[in-house]
Amino acid sequence: MKHFSLRKLLLGCGALALFILAWKLVTDAKLVSPIFFPGPERTYAALVKGLSGGAMLSQTLETVQRMLLGWLLASFVGVFLGALIGVSRRARAFIAPTLELLRPLPASAMIPIAIAFLGFSDNMVLVVIAFGALWPMLLATIHGFAAMEPRLYEVSAVLGLSRAQVIWKLALPSAMPMILASLRLGLTISLILAVVGEMLASRQGLGQSILAASRSFRSPDLFAGIVILGAIGLVGSRLLSFAERRLLRWQAVNR
Amino acid sequence: MVVTQLSTRPRQGEDNSTPTSGEARIRIRDVTLSYGSLQIIGGISLDIAPGETISVIGPSGCGKTTLLRMLAGLARPTSGSVELDGSVLGGPNRSIAIVFQDYGKALLPWRTAAGNVSLALEARGCPGAERPAIIRELLEKIGLGRHADKYPAEMSGGMQQRLQIARCLAQEPKVLLMDEPFGALDAMTRQALQDEVLGLVATTGATMVFVTHDLEEAIYLGDRIICLQPNPGRVGRVVDVRLARPRDQLLTREDHEFLRLRRELYDLIKDDHQ
Amino acid sequence: MRAASLLKNGWRAALLPATLIVVAQVAATVTQLESDTLASPFDIAQAFGSVMADGSLPKATLDTLKAAAAGCILGVGAGSLLGIVLGLSRLADEALDLTIELLRPVPVVALIPVVMMLLGFGAEMEIVIIALGLLWPSVVLARAAVKEVEPRLMEVSNVLQLGFLARLTKIVLPAILPQLFMSLKLAAGYALVVAVTVEITANPLGLGYGIMMAQQALRPAEMFAYLIWIGAIGWLISLLLNVAQRTFFPAFVKGEGR
Repeated sequence: MKHFSLRKLLLGCGALALFILAWKLVTDAKLVSPIFFPGPERTYAALVKGLSGGAMLSQTLETVQRMLLGWLLASFVGVFLGALIGVSRRARAFIAPTLELLRPLPASAMIPIAIAFLGFSDNMVLVVIAFGALWPMLLATIHGFAAMEPRLYEVSAVLGLSRAQVIWKLALPSAMPMILASLRLGLTISLILAVVGEMLASRQGLGQSILAASRSFRSPDLFAGIVILGAIGLVGSRLLSFAERRLLRWQAVNR
Repeated sequence: MVVTQLSTRPRQGEDNSTPTSGEARIRIRDVTLSYGSLQIIGGISLDIAPGETISVIGPSGCGKTTLLRMLAGLARPTSGSVELDGSVLGGPNRSIAIVFQDYGKALLPWRTAAGNVSLALEARGCPGAERPAIIRELLEKIGLGRHADKYPAEMSGGMQQRLQIARCLAQEPKVLLMDEPFGALDAMTRQALQDEVLGLVATTGATMVFVTHDLEEAIYLGDRIICLQPNPGRVGRVVDVRLARPRDQLLTREDHEFLRLRRELYDLIKDDHQ
Repeated sequence: MRAASLLKNGWRAALLPATLIVVAQVAATVTQLESDTLASPFDIAQAFGSVMADGSLPKATLDTLKAAAAGCILGVGAGSLLGIVLGLSRLADEALDLTIELLRPVPVVALIPVVMMLLGFGAEMEIVIIALGLLWPSVVLARAAVKEVEPRLMEVSNVLQLGFLARLTKIVLPAILPQLFMSLKLAAGYALVVAVTVEITANPLGLGYGIMMAQQALRPAEMFAYLIWIGAIGWLISLLLNVAQRTFFPAFVKGEGR
């Protein structure tokens, strides 16, 4: 539980102001060429212009949509498959080692394969996002099911719960902390892969937009894009932490 | 033998190891259990009458818990059988409830007290509309009426164990198995729960098998006490408890018969330990 | 006993991949596969042999691993240092928390264009991006580790009136060494991911570039050979680090375990 204190807020804002001031001083003194490295005011101006003028706003929406779609796809498939594999000890023995073997494979390494099959298309980017975000959720669900308290299996046997009831009422909730943590990780991966996919396949979106800005040395636009991407990541992870806290209220008292 | 024959409970007969009448609720027939070459239980036979309360004591490693798990259908005997109302028990059965010692692991931490009780109702397909009333009644009965919305982690050990008992009662069991349920609780909570369990058993008419390592608890609760001996686990002695019911924490424990039984069992267990 | 149980469980683990490979080979042979996107296991093995023999795969592997290692050391080093400072000083922690929370969610790939503009293509740019990507996770882990150091130990260091440096080297660093190693373990895996991503996206060197080129040259066998090789490298790195962790910090692994 984070304590909210005024002292901390003031200190934090002060440090943030200092950070921005240092940024401004560095760029004003032209320690780095302004062509590459814009000051805070120019970044802010580009941000306001981009978001009010429309181009950057629609790109943001494109990227967010892509990220969410891939993430949702990965979440459903990951948790569903994870539950199927995780609930059976036998399925775990046969399938889990192969999945563990594939886990360290960088998701981005699948991009060329996806391009080979789907070309430079929106679907390709979507498949890459979903595939990359799938792993943590799949493995977390399997592990969560495997880690269920053995006593609860006995409780379910004594109560005479059906297999579906065991999955729905015992295994899934007990795996929930792990699944929720993996959903957050999955969202981070989705955003990264959305940006990478847009850069590579030149699809509408912030990834393509910041790459174009960098190629034409429009550094304020580039930095504005980065700020928005950071904001997307921040809002996404905050929303999921909020959901986590709500859904795992029963855990809070433990800590 | 000093006998205080005030038992309010119908007794099944004088031969104390096997009641003569045929209507045993649980009949254990020559049960053994081995893991590989290791024999845990070496031939136990016992009849338990409906409504009877049996205490099981014995030194650690004598198979008390294993015996209880076989009665719950959670462990399969290697040979012999356990019968419930005349039919062989093939696995867990909803009419046999078990209260585990480790209440922290046996409750669903993500469900409130009411939710945990509800699980048993959901399992037996009780319609959703009827559940709240039953849950409220059970929680009231076990003294958790005001804590229905609390999560297990917010409750004391005693409250959690009460909750587990409430969930077992929601099964409407014929047989209540208790595996050292109060072992982890403090003395005051223990005594309060002992009386509550006795009260519940009396009102529901359930048969109870109560495993404990506490001799006084065994005497206080039981109609009969089964003393197990280890290596492999088998019945050493069966002792009748002729103490008046309802029992009372002060009066019963000061009764001559109580003290005499305590002495007898103490000597028995002490011999086993040597 | 262990070997026997490994053999007993091993065949189950191996069954699925072995079946997949056989099915793929049979399917490729039966259909007489001629494709720009698919390749039979046999062709993939052959392609692997040829890129290994002409030296392009070893060179690409070395490029990627060098960049990943350099970026890993830089990022984890700087991040852990900052994390330790934040863990020790409540003032610094409270002051910088907000700024860090705002900077942390910026996806590391968004920095590719910036660093590319500043440094151009090459190993340097890749190393910097990897280091930046590992910075924040390392800060967070080191900070948490320092905060979890047994308070008694801190009291001991107060009673002994140790100076900041002595406290750091005699109490804090030894106490958090296992966590720092775990941080390094996580970072190593992530470094490879970022390295390959940067190479696929922008940087013309290493394994990521190799797999991209194989795809664009429509040589699927080579592309899959690269893919499997990248997976094997990632798996090997995590295996080595796990073994190292178990050797050097056996107690910690047990505590972490499931």
